[in-house]
Amino acid sequence: MLTKGPAKKVTIFINEESRHHLAALDDSIMTFLMHKGVYGATATRAYSGFGSHQMLHSSRAEEVAPRVPIRIEFVETAEKVEEILPTLYEMVSDGLIEIQDTTVVKLARKSPQPEPKAPHRHTQEHATLLRVYLGEDDKWHGEPLFDAIVRKLRMMDVAGATVYRGILGYGAKGHEHKRSVLHPMRDMPIVIAVIDAPGKIAAAAEAIEDMLEDGLIVTSDVEMVRLVRGTAATEASDAPGMVR
Amino acid sequence: MRQEWSARLLRIHISESDRYRGKPLYEAIVARCREMKIAGATVLRGLEGYGETAEIHKTHLMHHDQPIVISIVDTAGNLARLVPVVEEMMDTGLMAVSDVTAVRVQKKAPAADAKSD
Repeated sequence: MLTKGPAKKVTIFINEESRHHLAALDDSIMTFLMHKGVYGATATRAYSGFGSHQMLHSSRAEEVAPRVPIRIEFVETAEKVEEILPTLYEMVSDGLIEIQDTTVVKLARKSPQPEPKAPHRHTQEHATLLRVYLGEDDKWHGEPLFDAIVRKLRMMDVAGATVYRGILGYGAKGHEHKRSVLHPMRDMPIVIAVIDAPGKIAAAAEAIEDMLEDGLIVTSDVEMVRLVRGTAATEASDAPGMVR
Repeated sequence: MRQEWSARLLRIHISESDRYRGKPLYEAIVARCREMKIAGATVLRGLEGYGETAEIHKTHLMHHDQPIVISIVDTAGNLARLVPVVEEMMDTGLMAVSDVTAVRVQKKAPAADAKSD
């Protein structure tokens, strides 16, 4: 099953006129990939190109039925690619197969019907609580840093994040964050709290450290009491338990 | 500059209406922390809560009495110094300490860093 992270991208270059048994080769390959349960594949017809025969195939040529190159691409796990590669090797009698390492960043899928309601679930597990202390005026490439951090965490599939705005504070920067009549919202303190599995938090802490100019990151071990309610299967309400 | 060390996190749970010598208690505690050269303190206001007196702290039209949490990260020694002082200042409230790993991030050179650990 393809998931986010490292994967393989396979690109096959063939010609439109190539055939496999009696069918067009590109059709055969696409059917084969679908039959094998490959996550997705795209075949594109090129505008122009040439291959090992040193003959330019172009849709511009004054041919009745132009024969242009076709490129088939798909991304799958290394194991899956390993599994189907021998057959592809047999099928492509004239062309080129190329594999490269890639990283799946997002794998979104709109489900046609809502997920079935899950029963109440109550588990207790070890987790790490991460807290980041920063200022409200801190920027990251022109946008508020806390906003950028939350979006980054979301992209990293971290379970959840909460941003708190402090009403008073001082710290690393040495200046006091305080509301005054002239500046009602001058650089108030911000705390972002995140709870997830220790491994995920370690990765998140590293990413946040890269983004943070000046601030403090604090982690502690917690017991996570996760309560998944039946009404919304996808929304888990995480209640941090006792902080050890 | 990057520093990583084992530190302690102190959280002080009080109420916004708590006062110390006419000043809001949370302001007095933060001022005291500065005097005692504690690394930093952040005051957070909760939306709603209840505690020891089983009285719901919630904002009303006329008076604000929301829960306040002051969180402080510093060495165990500094916090041990601070806890009795705060204890003496507050009337009702709760203090919780937990062990944490702290990472201090500071990429730009400090302008005038008067912080002493």
